[in-house]
Amino acid sequence: MAKSFSNSYIFIYSAVLVVVAALILTVVAVSLKPAQEKNQRAETKQMILKTIGIDATRDNADELYAQHITEADNYYTFDGGIILPLKGTGLWGPIWGYLALDNESTVVGAVFDHKGETPGLGGEIASDKFAQRFIGKKMDTEAIHLKKNADKSNPYEVDAISGGTMTSNGVTAMLAKAYDDYSNLLTKPETPETLETPAEEMEATE
Amino acid sequence: MKNFDLIKLPFSKNNPILVQVLGVCSCLAVTAQLKPAVVMAISVIVVVALANVIISLLRNTIPPRIRIIVQLVVVSTLVVLVDQVLKAYVYDVSKQLSVFVGLIITNCIVMGRLEAFAMVQKPLPSLLDGIGNGLGYSVILIVLGFVRELFGSGTLWGYPVMEKLGLYEIGYENNGLMIMPPMALILVGLIIWWHRSKNKDLCEQ
Repeated sequence: MAKSFSNSYIFIYSAVLVVVAALILTVVAVSLKPAQEKNQRAETKQMILKTIGIDATRDNADELYAQHITEADNYYTFDGGIILPLKGTGLWGPIWGYLALDNESTVVGAVFDHKGETPGLGGEIASDKFAQRFIGKKMDTEAIHLKKNADKSNPYEVDAISGGTMTSNGVTAMLAKAYDDYSNLLTKPETPETLETPAEEMEATE
Repeated sequence: MKNFDLIKLPFSKNNPILVQVLGVCSCLAVTAQLKPAVVMAISVIVVVALANVIISLLRNTIPPRIRIIVQLVVVSTLVVLVDQVLKAYVYDVSKQLSVFVGLIITNCIVMGRLEAFAMVQKPLPSLLDGIGNGLGYSVILIVLGFVRELFGSGTLWGYPVMEKLGLYEIGYENNGLMIMPPMALILVGLIIWWHRSKNKDLCEQ
């Protein structure tokens, strides 16, 4: 231990060490990439299936996905509506999710995930409990937004996450962006489709 | 010290969690269920053992002035390798462990063993010391994971034990506190208490 090392030895030593480490990591990362990407694709399919209430495992995700989901340009359709992909930024990194809407732009299911939000705070957006708050909300005349102490009966308000304000704001921004991007797909109340409902009701009362 | 002692001592008399009180952070965070606890345990054993061997092989070439940096580079490389392998083969578990795999780098057990043991010992004893300390850590993790999953979620390795025993029908309920990190701390405290009462020589005067 008492050996002394010259400065040039230290420089060369650290340079070689770092290069060797980098080389090993590159080789491993490249060779494992296909397996990792396969897992990620399966996970995306699982997430999309979850919005329409299908719990797929990693193994049967491909099969179920093929059965239930059709891919359109930049969104997905299922029997009964559309699924919009959501992309945004949270506090620490990207957040994303999928929102399944029926033909009247009512949310039938939602799922969110994140890269690195704080576990227990912003990270809660990935929980089922949070996703369920969206069910029954509307994306027709305005976008859903997150709010503290949200009014549960308001179809455009969802309770934000306590302690996760920045992430919640990110979710609101993500929903607003999706509302703009996909406005031509969203059913507005003034379209004839929704006007049919009162007519049917009148018939029923007669 | 005999080679066998290197494996045996970290189990009890020199347990990294119970006696050295290292690596407690990850031990609270990943033990809500058995499966992540076991995967974390295996990952730590692999990292400590390999890092110990590599540092021990390099020990005479490492300039003391940059030894901590060298240790960090070796540990980081190993941890990234483990993380990549987990992502490729046990994706769900790697998601659950999330940042904690990366945090093995800062797990004091790893740096502690490198600095205290591998820097001055031959590769074979270093390997055994790494495995021993990894196992010592694992034992506590697995015990915690077992207790917390069983009483917190009523399952073991995902298998619904309590439901199969029919306990819910007679009014049994899961203990929600068990799945919270503070309960892990309380359990570790209880284990340390029991462990000290068995090993009076470890008690401070």
